[in-house]
Amino acid sequence: MRISTSMIYNSGVSTINDKTSAMLHTQQQVSSGRRVVTPSDDPVAAARALDVSQAQSVNAQQGTNLDNTKSSLGLEESQLSGVNDVLTRVRELIVQAGNSNLSANDRRSIATELRSNYDQLQGLANSSDGNGNYLFSGYMGSTIPFGGTVDTLNQAPGNEVSYFGDSGQRTLQVSATRQIAISDPGNSVFQQIPNGNGHFVTSYASYNSGGGVVNAGSVADPAAWNSSVPQSVSAVFSVDTSVIPSKTYYDLVDTQSGSPTQGTSLLTGQVYTLPLDATSAPAPATYPGQLRLYSDGQPISLKSVAGDTSTFNMGSNITITGAPAQGDSFSTAPSTSQSVFKTIATVINVLEKGNTGTSAGVAALSNDIGFALTNIDQATDNILTVRAAVGSRLNEVDALSNINQDLSLQYSSTLSTLQDLDYAKTITDLTREQTDLQAAQKSFVSTSQLSLFTYIQ
Amino acid sequence: MATGILNVGISGLSAAQMGFQTTSHNIANASTDGYSRQSIVQTTNTPLSFGSGFLGQGTNVQTVQRVYSQFLSNQVLSAQTTASEMSSYLEQISQIDNMVGDSSAGLTPALASFFKGVQEAAANPSSISSRQSMLSSAQSLVSQFNALDERLTSIRSGLNTQISSEVTTINAYAAKIADINNNIIAANATGSGQPPNDLLDQRDQIVAELNKVIRVQTVTQSDGSYSVFIGNGQPLVVGTQSSKLLATPSTDNPEQMTIAMQSSSNGGSIILPDSLISGGTLGGLVSFRSQTLDAVQNGIGRIALTLAKNVNDQHALGMDLDGKLGGKVFNLTNTVGAPLANTNNLGNGAPSFQISNYAQLSTSDYRLSYTGSSYTLTRLSDNTVTDVGNGPTLTTVDGLTINTSVGTPTANDSWLIQPTRNAAKNISMALTDARSVALAAPIKTSKALTNTGSGSVDAGVMVSTTTPATAASAFATQGILTPPVLIKFDNPATTYTVYDNSNPSSPTALEGPITFTAGSDVFPTPSGLDYGYRIKISGTPASGDQFTVDYNSNGISDNRNAVLLGALQTSNTMESTASAPNTGTASYQGAYSQLVSFVGSKTNEVTVIGDAQTKLVEQATATVQSLSGVNMDEEAANLLRYQQAYQASSKIISIAGKLFDDILALHN
Repeated sequence: MRISTSMIYNSGVSTINDKTSAMLHTQQQVSSGRRVVTPSDDPVAAARALDVSQAQSVNAQQGTNLDNTKSSLGLEESQLSGVNDVLTRVRELIVQAGNSNLSANDRRSIATELRSNYDQLQGLANSSDGNGNYLFSGYMGSTIPFGGTVDTLNQAPGNEVSYFGDSGQRTLQVSATRQIAISDPGNSVFQQIPNGNGHFVTSYASYNSGGGVVNAGSVADPAAWNSSVPQSVSAVFSVDTSVIPSKTYYDLVDTQSGSPTQGTSLLTGQVYTLPLDATSAPAPATYPGQLRLYSDGQPISLKSVAGDTSTFNMGSNITITGAPAQGDSFSTAPSTSQSVFKTIATVINVLEKGNTGTSAGVAALSNDIGFALTNIDQATDNILTVRAAVGSRLNEVDALSNINQDLSLQYSSTLSTLQDLDYAKTITDLTREQTDLQAAQKSFVSTSQLSLFTYIQ
Repeated sequence: MATGILNVGISGLSAAQMGFQTTSHNIANASTDGYSRQSIVQTTNTPLSFGSGFLGQGTNVQTVQRVYSQFLSNQVLSAQTTASEMSSYLEQISQIDNMVGDSSAGLTPALASFFKGVQEAAANPSSISSRQSMLSSAQSLVSQFNALDERLTSIRSGLNTQISSEVTTINAYAAKIADINNNIIAANATGSGQPPNDLLDQRDQIVAELNKVIRVQTVTQSDGSYSVFIGNGQPLVVGTQSSKLLATPSTDNPEQMTIAMQSSSNGGSIILPDSLISGGTLGGLVSFRSQTLDAVQNGIGRIALTLAKNVNDQHALGMDLDGKLGGKVFNLTNTVGAPLANTNNLGNGAPSFQISNYAQLSTSDYRLSYTGSSYTLTRLSDNTVTDVGNGPTLTTVDGLTINTSVGTPTANDSWLIQPTRNAAKNISMALTDARSVALAAPIKTSKALTNTGSGSVDAGVMVSTTTPATAASAFATQGILTPPVLIKFDNPATTYTVYDNSNPSSPTALEGPITFTAGSDVFPTPSGLDYGYRIKISGTPASGDQFTVDYNSNGISDNRNAVLLGALQTSNTMESTASAPNTGTASYQGAYSQLVSFVGSKTNEVTVIGDAQTKLVEQATATVQSLSGVNMDEEAANLLRYQQAYQASSKIISIAGKLFDDILALHN
């Protein structure tokens, strides 16, 4: 083939240009440490790398959120653990106050300690996090959740603690599909606690003159309880002194189904005027065999037997111990919510009032202490339930943290595969390209020096 | 006899001289661009007949020819114009390629940082500093959008300048070709049929230079002049006449330069559509603009537009630190409104458009044309034409709804619609006060303490703050719900009744009894009661159980809306398909990655084609050079050859002289 002289120069220059630009690109790769310097080097990898780096940043954010979640839940858990400690102490004190050998003064000093426990508990319920937000006020972080003192709660039986927060539960996004609650509203922790045994609450009449003490009762058949009508009954006692020894009978009165002023006996059909008073007592003689015979400490089944005028099944029973007097009554009513503050305030009130020393007074104290213990146990249960939920969330956070770290590693390695340089290979390439360039330069110089004119003299 | 020898010697001498001249000319022009080597064509003189046969009469040079092949040159031209196009395309697209993929300058880090700000705020909704940092990250996202658009706009205005200067170059070349045509015609007329080689080379060289700017076809006329055509036959040079190209603002979009051809006869000008401008630097600029720049600028604008819309919508469903409903986060002006009317429109029709479905938006621009009886909409990216009816509200295409009620158009009027073009430029921050970031939801639910059942109510989700639309909405008065709602279960608890709880001591029944299905939405109720939020009651509520919905007063630690804002990062809100127009298939980052991938692939494609074409140019040039190029060694040999021929011819003359002297000596 015929070669023109300018071709030698052109092709020499273009070869050197090609080699130089290839070497420059390799040099850019080495200096940036990236295989893909611009998207055009590998469009698919470049776009994927952007997607992966977004996923990585989302994942990192979720990692931060997991840390935040962990610290919030840890804070809540430590406050709840404090609450638990206080409740344990409160329970001890109440049990101690139940000791019949204690004097009124002893009980008053217990009440004093309970007052300080109350304040401690309220302090915990009103505690705030590092940013000054109250932990237990729901969404209303700047609103102090609980108000009220022992004395305001005790001004009237119906007074309850004031909750100024709301039911909101704060959440954080900790994975693509999972939001975890990082707080619990104060009302569900301290306030929405069923009193009594959780299904119903027992009570004694203020006019009781005997020594009867009622327990909290229990539900043996929840299905029967749930469908039961009525759910409120009163056991009204009558003492038949015509026989020796005297016999104690009781009637069960439905205080729920009828009109507010009239209650019908479930056993005899007798109609009582509501509210019951000390004069409301059944006459065993009028309904022979229909009233039930009271036996101290034997469970009273709230279920009809053959011969009763009404068929009813509350699936539950209560136990009364001691000797109820004529006209005494004990009642059940469906549970309602009672705050732990109200429970403590109530027992403080009982302890501070002292008792009259009569059998009725002793029985009232026993009853009140018993109710208080039941309610404190309910509160403790509730705290434990919340703590269990917090604990399981913390477990989930730990599990998610592990996944989060795995993912982070995974994304990093994917990114690395997509973008990063194989240094060994690239530096070898660079060296090769250097050699190539040198060869091209050298061969160009030697080729271009050849000319016939050199030899023409 | 001796005179014969003398004549033969002289003919050889002059032929050798011409050979010298030509060889020297070759050597002198060895590095002249477009030069074809020349050689003399030597033939014998007509022999004279003598009795003893024909005696040669020496030599003469018939012509000086250039060694040239039209076919090979055309191959170079065709490869060169594509190579130039690719090279100019590459030069432009590389700027974008470097910009979008850069891990610190592209949109990806700004998007990630914005949503990181949202998440930080969600973690500490009551903290002013985390709210402020969310605002700052939003501001930096806005700045990034603005900066990207500014860069693209400067590339665009750079294109206008370059197009104008390329047009000037074309005109200069065209004038020069016409000029040389003139000289060639003259040379042909006076040169008694001999070719004016150097003029031809010069003209071929200028055509080659012109061809690097725009693809040309040449036709040789009988008088030896070239006619040069561009596009699909627009004459640039005919004989000694050249037309002028003009860079003129487009009638569609005055911000954009197009190319027009000025007629040499009447001075009027005809716009050449961009599709006719192909090949060469100019072709590269024009196709870069229509294929890449528009798509990239629209693509970034589309992300800005959709993001701003979605964030604003979600933010409006929230409640700020002061209990007010959320306002706008981003301002976005001029994106919805008037299409650009073509400057040639005769009617006064002034259509307006609005985006009715953001998920459907494409990255294309559109041309709306009036046929005289109805409108058609052309998607410019793929030239899909849709008949959109006669209005006033036209058929929605790609989420665009156009209204034509204003003005009266004339047939063939057209308008350019650029739904996404300016969004990245126009986006700005509307929210400046950290307290006004709406991180909370404006409603809260609760269950009554007296409830005995196991029913629970969820936190509720906001749908709209302007419902019901007909009456005053539930959120019309700041700080309260109108009305607050009480849901009370009837006896038996299989149904419930919805109450207006404005006066909690005696709620007013709104609707009931409504059959209770655990876990299903309470609103809208069977009769259509809807206050703009959705709540669900699950579990087994008991008779008399109550649930309430209130305004989330003082809910400063609530982050529900922030969590929903954060979720926008990964939700697919863009690029819905025709079968599911409301369901997106791409997140903001997804759409951006597609854009990066598009730019990367296009750059790659242009590089590969450019490289291939450059190789082709090299090969074709090598072939041409192989034929027409000057080889110094060859010329050196020729020099020697002509030197020897000259010396030999001199010797002949000297011998002839000697012979003559010998004859004269006979007389002495």
